[in-house]
Amino acid sequence: MTNMIIALVLGVFFGFALNKAGLTKYNKIVNVFRFTDMAVLQFMMTALVVSMSGLYILRALNLVTFPNVPGTYIVGNIVGGLIFGVGMALSGYCPGTCAAGAGEGKMDYIVPGLLGFLTGAVIYGLTYDQVFPAISAIANYGNIVIPDAWNVDPFLFITLFTLISFLLFYLIDRAGWQRKAQ
Amino acid sequence: MKFILNYIRKETWSPYVAGTLLGLVGIAAVWASNSLLGASGAFENIAGLIGKALAPALFDNMYFNFIMPPGITYGVMLVVGLFFGGLVGAASSGTLKWGKKDSANSDEQWKRIFGPQTWKRWLVAFVGAIVLEYAAGIAGGCTSGLAISGGMLLAPSAFLFIMGMFASGIVTALIIYRERY
Repeated sequence: MTNMIIALVLGVFFGFALNKAGLTKYNKIVNVFRFTDMAVLQFMMTALVVSMSGLYILRALNLVTFPNVPGTYIVGNIVGGLIFGVGMALSGYCPGTCAAGAGEGKMDYIVPGLLGFLTGAVIYGLTYDQVFPAISAIANYGNIVIPDAWNVDPFLFITLFTLISFLLFYLIDRAGWQRKAQ
Repeated sequence: MKFILNYIRKETWSPYVAGTLLGLVGIAAVWASNSLLGASGAFENIAGLIGKALAPALFDNMYFNFIMPPGITYGVMLVVGLFFGGLVGAASSGTLKWGKKDSANSDEQWKRIFGPQTWKRWLVAFVGAIVLEYAAGIAGGCTSGLAISGGMLLAPSAFLFIMGMFASGIVTALIIYRERY
């Protein structure tokens, strides 16, 4: 029960962040793929830098244990990502931004959006046996994390990831890597 | 104090500020409930709930019985929260669309590219949403459940997913926008 309330509260902050980042708009999502507005990338990489540093520091201090790590099965992760990008560019949604956009009162998020996700969920659930076991069996490495798989110190990896992110942010904000929209 | 209140009322924040907030929410999920953020799984739980009520025989399979059992799960509560988070966010900047004329086809850029017809927006959005949910199933999560949640734990799957998503997103945008890209 407590967990359910925590989930609800976290969801509100999550949806609030998506709204303020502008990700509940079609143009923000699709324009990252046109390199005319990189907010999606800046938002995601900032979230990753903050959360990965925080979590690995908290774990080093024995203040948290990690939940189940999402599994790595190379072909399925990439193919899933490839199909996902098509859906994003077509609709301007992610599952999360669609729920937040629905809360803003946008009918195109409430009706075709939420119904589309439910329909997709039904289709996936009914074809799961034919698709998922086969594709997830290819190059399946289980629930690994990069520090263990590559035998690198997690903080070295996180430092590198942070530096790469800051370099990208610099290139986007200061060096004109963001194209002008036509 | 006034500065903070004025900032909260802004329609769009710096992606660095909003991203920091999301990062803290991701940490809080692990710290407070040993769980990960996610959205696509919740739609599976709800689809199972509806399906089992309407067509129990069809939905009596491995997936809806064991892999993603129907129910009001942690993920479903997150998505309910997302809904209210979007509502509060838009209300704080006075940009709520409830009952507004343009709420059925909410994006100006979309109308410039595809035309003003609402049915077109709804059709493409519906198909897009189906594609998204199916793809999230194959990949093992969506932008929040895999890209952010997996990425913050440093799971290789998250970074493979992000690469795939950007590669095909760019190609799809190129095809849709052509000379207007």
